[in-house]
Amino acid sequence: MKNKSIATVSIAISCVVLTVGIIMQLNTIKSFNDTVGGQDFYDSSLRDEVLRWKEKSDNTAKELENAEKELTRVREKSTENDDGLSATEQQIKDNYKLLGVTSLEGPGVEITVDDDNDINLTTSGPIIDVGNHIVHYFDIIHIVNELKNAGAEAISVNGQRIVRTTAIVCIGNVIMINDEKVGAPFTIRAIGLPEMLAPALTRSGGYLDYLKSWGLETDIKRLDKVQIPKYTGVFQAKYAKTVE
Amino acid sequence: MIIIAIVVGCIIGALIGTYMPVIPYTYSGYLAIAIIAALDSVFGAITSSLKKNFDIKIFVSGFFVNAILAMLLTYLGERLNIDIHLAAVVVFVGRMFNNLGIIRRYYVEKLSNKKIFKKAEETIKIANEQDKK
Repeated sequence: MKNKSIATVSIAISCVVLTVGIIMQLNTIKSFNDTVGGQDFYDSSLRDEVLRWKEKSDNTAKELENAEKELTRVREKSTENDDGLSATEQQIKDNYKLLGVTSLEGPGVEITVDDDNDINLTTSGPIIDVGNHIVHYFDIIHIVNELKNAGAEAISVNGQRIVRTTAIVCIGNVIMINDEKVGAPFTIRAIGLPEMLAPALTRSGGYLDYLKSWGLETDIKRLDKVQIPKYTGVFQAKYAKTVE
Repeated sequence: MIIIAIVVGCIIGALIGTYMPVIPYTYSGYLAIAIIAALDSVFGAITSSLKKNFDIKIFVSGFFVNAILAMLLTYLGERLNIDIHLAAVVVFVGRMFNNLGIIRRYYVEKLSNKKIFKKAEETIKIANEQDKK
């Protein structure tokens, strides 16, 4: 009898360990399928390669981030005892803020725009043109433009910071922002005076109003604290030369 | 008893597993082979506990050593550009089916034994009643 209870308990414990492993593996595989975007690869080795490169790039990005943190730390340490230098340090920080290479937070708005998920014959008539019921890249451009016009200081779309080199382009069924694929639903965050930003879009004839009239699902929230991630790409000035 | 233990263990494991982080792609192959090895050990344990010759030392050592050995072999195979993990999968899954067969047979025999006993009891009852008459 004692032996049997030992067996039962140990089997139960091993089942716990086993299921933890299985669930972890399932989650991992699911996240890989999200990474490769459900595309059909002819060869599984191709898929393998994509995932390996993705992992390498993620690791390198992490290393870069650490190196930047280290750089900031060293710079702060070396300038803390000198008034002139700390002023310069402050200047660098301000410039970084304007460039978009630091994460920011402040009051602002959060806009969500999603495709029309319940198209049917009664809502759209006998002929359904799917193009009228999805969010296009120019919708995002319009919203970003309106936000900039209303005085937004920092904007991000699905975690992609809008900086001076950002392009928002259509690449088939998704949108590319900062060379990264993003898809619906779109979450657009902006830092600025919420009382200025929100009416710019929600006023009658404003862009969100227009999107709503097409049946797209839109939502806008005024928040006291919006977090905007930093731009992770690289700025280049290969051809531009300063005029002396 | 064992079935309840397995179900409870699986539920607890699933709950813990949902809060676990996602592992890097390079290591997911190793985890997969470790899972297969552990699954084989669990089936082996169920079989031996049904046969009443369960030994905790053999089970625990098999659970870990098999998993680690399978992972090491997979690593070696990757270095040598040979799919050694396929061999491990074949062995473990083959053993799993063996054990599954033994477990199935045990329960089927138990069921049919029960039926035979019932029939025998009924016959005895009828015979007793007839004796009384």
